[in-house]
Amino acid sequence: MILELKNIEKSFGELKVLDKISFRAEGGKAFGILGRNGAGKTTTIRIIMDVFPADSGEILLDGKAIDHSRIGIGYLPEERGLYPKKPIIDQLVYFAELKGMKTKDAVKSVDFWLERLEMSQYRNKRLDVLSKGNQQKIQLITALAHDPDIIILDEPFSGLDPVNAMVLKEIVNEQIAKGKIVLFSSHQMNYIEEFCDSIAILNNGKIALSGDIVSIKREYPRDRLVIRSQSNDKIKSELDLPYTVTKNGDLIVKLNSPDDKRAVMSHIVEKYDVDEVKVLEPSLTDIFVDAAGDDQKEA
Amino acid sequence: MKQFGKIFKFELKSYAKNKGFVGITVFLVIAMAAVMFFPRIIAVFDNGDDGDKDRSVMLVKVVNAEEADITKQIFSGAFADYDVQMTDESVDEIKEKILSEKAECAFVLQTPTEYTYYVGNLTMYDMNTSIADEVLRQIYQTGVMINSGMTPDAAEKALNVQINGTTESLGKDQIRNFFYTYIMIFALYMVILLYGQMIAMNVATEKSSRAMEVLITSVKPVSMMFGKVFASCIAGLVQLVAIFGSALLFFNVNKSYWADNEIIDMIFNIPPELFLYMLMFFLLGFLIYAFLFGALASTVSKLEDINTAVQPVTFLFVFGFLVVIFSMTSGSVDSLLMKICSYIPFTSPMAMFTRIAMSGVSVYEIVISTAILVLSVVCVGIISAKIYRMGVLMYGNKPNIKEIFKMLRKA
Repeated sequence: MILELKNIEKSFGELKVLDKISFRAEGGKAFGILGRNGAGKTTTIRIIMDVFPADSGEILLDGKAIDHSRIGIGYLPEERGLYPKKPIIDQLVYFAELKGMKTKDAVKSVDFWLERLEMSQYRNKRLDVLSKGNQQKIQLITALAHDPDIIILDEPFSGLDPVNAMVLKEIVNEQIAKGKIVLFSSHQMNYIEEFCDSIAILNNGKIALSGDIVSIKREYPRDRLVIRSQSNDKIKSELDLPYTVTKNGDLIVKLNSPDDKRAVMSHIVEKYDVDEVKVLEPSLTDIFVDAAGDDQKEA
Repeated sequence: MKQFGKIFKFELKSYAKNKGFVGITVFLVIAMAAVMFFPRIIAVFDNGDDGDKDRSVMLVKVVNAEEADITKQIFSGAFADYDVQMTDESVDEIKEKILSEKAECAFVLQTPTEYTYYVGNLTMYDMNTSIADEVLRQIYQTGVMINSGMTPDAAEKALNVQINGTTESLGKDQIRNFFYTYIMIFALYMVILLYGQMIAMNVATEKSSRAMEVLITSVKPVSMMFGKVFASCIAGLVQLVAIFGSALLFFNVNKSYWADNEIIDMIFNIPPELFLYMLMFFLLGFLIYAFLFGALASTVSKLEDINTAVQPVTFLFVFGFLVVIFSMTSGSVDSLLMKICSYIPFTSPMAMFTRIAMSGVSVYEIVISTAILVLSVVCVGIISAKIYRMGVLMYGNKPNIKEIFKMLRKA
């Protein structure tokens, strides 16, 4: 399955929230939607889910306009919340039914997930007696119980302890392995890097950058070197380039041009006792800050 | 449609599981039972000895001793609640008896037409002097008539002649139907206002607890809104039927005990077709207000803002109620204001219903008013669903009416 957004535009009143958003997410892979607060992530997600229509542009699933009556979408919203005063089983079954499941199947599926997330003992309890992390797990069930084809997870890891984060990782990986389209939105870059093959970075309603992470990193100017050596001080003064020193003492120098890379590398390796020297791979955080950084302030 | 059914079921179930809702309904049914069984229970405790041991003492002092017997007889007849005793003690002794609570009150006659009434504490409801006036006047008049040659029998008959009159209202009897109309209007008012607030609360809670975030992605707002409103409507109807039905049932069970109570009899003497009108206007009135309450509540982000958000609708509704009540109590249910109100969809459920109940309204007027109302319910429903769709996704400051209208044009 391939989900494609083509030139999606959306305005609220005078404010243009989305401007020609296009990207492509494939089944069996996770796709990361990144962006600063107010960049248009939630609006994009809501348009995909048909909460409101786009002003223009199209959403295609396998090349055809998406049919929401036939395609299931599971959604874990960033703003978590269910009915605090109602029994967990009641509301989970209700949500699954609203997604089109029969009552019997809904109960079965919800029970399966409660078991899976080790929440069975809370089945008939009210939601508000649960801890925040456990409430998150219940919320996750609303996104998964109806076995959707597309799963949209907005900040899925926030508020989870490391053990629960592991459980969630497992589940996400399972869903990806099942060939589902998983859309991921998060500010925690490490999770995006871990799961997503491709990303789209939104900035002020526009796609600032999109594609698969490996090639994005490749295209990034390879003009920084990491040097680990006992003689960092001497290297520093000899190279006379802008530098930073990392926490564990590594030296990072920025070259005047990526073309200098080979010359500088062989020069220091020959002259000094160097443990390691390599090109610094840009982290996703670097890429994100570059693409969605301060140059354009939020509206 | 399938979703509407699911939502309807879910919302209805939460009413059935709501302890407050069930509790109040049961309480009101029990209260109805208590009221209706009251005279029967009283009768059980009251049977047999109406002993005059705890009747309070009334002293009467006459001018001539030979009038004592006849006066005692007449006074005892007139003051059935008192143990009437004749006395010839002095005024001071009588006062002393009253102060020491051996007697409650005393009539001391100076002449056959002049007396002083002594009483411990004069209560607001003390009617004794006016009864005494009447009795003494009668004694005096009888005396005069006998003295001028009439037989005592003839005199008595002349004074106590009974006038028999009957009133036949060719339209509606506003005295008789005032009570039940008042009660029905009040029930309509209470239920609509109560449920309107409940729906507002329900919507705002869903939004503030962010359950809406999930709901809105699974369900069309129209289904959401209609499911909620119709479920509340049924819950309200069940409550109304339970309370009115139990009152009617318990009344019929105890009918014989209420035989001499004219007001209760008037209340329960409701023409059956009026129940149908009540049902119709209840449903339509309920829906139109429930939609508005739901839509306005969807625009608030914080629960504490609900009241200010729904205020305009509450005012509109209370205004309609007051117009109707004032017109009813002043007896002018067909005033121009009432006529106008019975065609405005927001006031017509109460105004038209009152006019049907208390005055003659032609069929075509009812049809026009109902048609306007039905049409408005549909329109308000659609508009409300639109406001709702925009409102539930909006966090932050509560929009004012102008912004809501602006929102509507875009929706």
